[in-house]
Amino acid sequence: MPFGASIPSPPPTYLVHHLACWFQVSNKCWIHNGLSGFVPAKRRAMVLPLRASFWDSIKSGFLKNNNSTQVVEPPSTFMEEDPFPQDIVLLEKTQPDGTFEQIIFSSAGDVDVYDVQALCDKVGWPRRPLTKIAASLKNSYLVATLHLISRSPGTEGIDQKQLIGMARATSDHAFNATIWDVLVDPSYQGQGLGKALVEQLIRVLLQRDIGNITLFADNKVVDFYKNLGFEADPEGIKGMFWYPRY
Amino acid sequence: MAVTCATLPSRVSASASASASACFPFSYSLNPSLNSQPKSRKPPPPITISANPSHVDPFQLRDLLAAANHSCHRFPALTPDGRAESADPEKLRVALHHSSVVVSVFCRSKFLAEDGCGEGRYDVSPFTFEKLFDRVMPAERDRRLVGFGRAVSDGGLTASIHDVVVVPSLQGRGIGRKIVERITRIITGRGIYDISALCSENESLFLKACGFGEDCLGSTTMMYTRTATGFLTNNQAIQPAGRMLLLVPPARVPCHCK
Repeated sequence: MPFGASIPSPPPTYLVHHLACWFQVSNKCWIHNGLSGFVPAKRRAMVLPLRASFWDSIKSGFLKNNNSTQVVEPPSTFMEEDPFPQDIVLLEKTQPDGTFEQIIFSSAGDVDVYDVQALCDKVGWPRRPLTKIAASLKNSYLVATLHLISRSPGTEGIDQKQLIGMARATSDHAFNATIWDVLVDPSYQGQGLGKALVEQLIRVLLQRDIGNITLFADNKVVDFYKNLGFEADPEGIKGMFWYPRY
Repeated sequence: MAVTCATLPSRVSASASASASACFPFSYSLNPSLNSQPKSRKPPPPITISANPSHVDPFQLRDLLAAANHSCHRFPALTPDGRAESADPEKLRVALHHSSVVVSVFCRSKFLAEDGCGEGRYDVSPFTFEKLFDRVMPAERDRRLVGFGRAVSDGGLTASIHDVVVVPSLQGRGIGRKIVERITRIITGRGIYDISALCSENESLFLKACGFGEDCLGSTTMMYTRTATGFLTNNQAIQPAGRMLLLVPPARVPCHCK
């Protein structure tokens, strides 16, 4: 070192500000603070370095593909648990007319309750009161979303953002998690997006040491979940529901 | 269900139905035809039920779970003598903190001494002021955690009940049912009517008696049980959950399509 003094390692918060990159979000975004009690100070969706294990697996993918995307090297063992949500670009595509599209998976839970209701309408689910939907989203442990970002040529910097998929999980943060409300816009079904949603939910839950992952599947989608590693009534475990008696 | 309330502080409500109907619109009563308990069922000893989460000590809870051989993991690792491994009190603390409803049942240790011996005997020694005081205000530290149940909810649409346990010496006397009823009363009081509970084959009878049944929409209960088979490849990871080694799905990398 020519300067003779060793550079002290900066505190983690310093690194956070320098390594984060920002996404543009529409003004209608809505905060979700159910993740480990950490509330982002500002409204944002950001890509942040996470624990080393997560990045190791992504890095191996990058090295194999050898593309020019810049890999941000995170400091190892930065934080015990990732306090900030992550966004993953699942698909990128340039349409024939020049529109640049991306499908982004996010576990930030930045979702507008009206968008959720519109999506539920599209898949044909019965309507539920908006306040209840809002409360359930706010108090869910994880809310994963799929957004379609389209950037038309000529409109610089203004992205169209559309909710095309969602899944959420409630949990006691320690042992049990239940996955509810998995939905994908019918126009985008059949591409493996639902599979990506559920898989990433499971991944986050397992990484946080939550081992009992349950869901209650409609008869039509039992095979879909079987394909993802779920088992019906494992070891005789049954799910029962409460019925009021008159 | 008649309950002998011998001590004043006992807050067991024998008229659960009366208070329940005050809570939500439709009338809810303990349907007598559901009382298919055998005639020989003994009422429980004097117990107190609390819905205050701060009354539960994670270490007492761990001991209760161990006594009832109940594990928080659905597929628990078993010790060589067949018992479930005991839970980590810190994890229990986290779980309690994030449960929407926590119900605990306490009993004075003298009623736990032998199986029912404590209550049958009447104390015939001279009645002193001390005894009266002790009867009315039992020592705090004498309360033993004998029953527990909790529920996790999203505060709007759904709730799920977990870890309902009663100490084995007091099982079969209606305590578990009281716990479940208290939980459902609290949840429905908040306007949530989609309440689920997972159970094993023999626990399902207990839940049926508490008013639970198969899902009327015919949904299938499924749990994630995919484990690693053979050697793990480069980007595969496993996560232990009880005795299962669950396969963690790989992280997604962006796909560029032209």
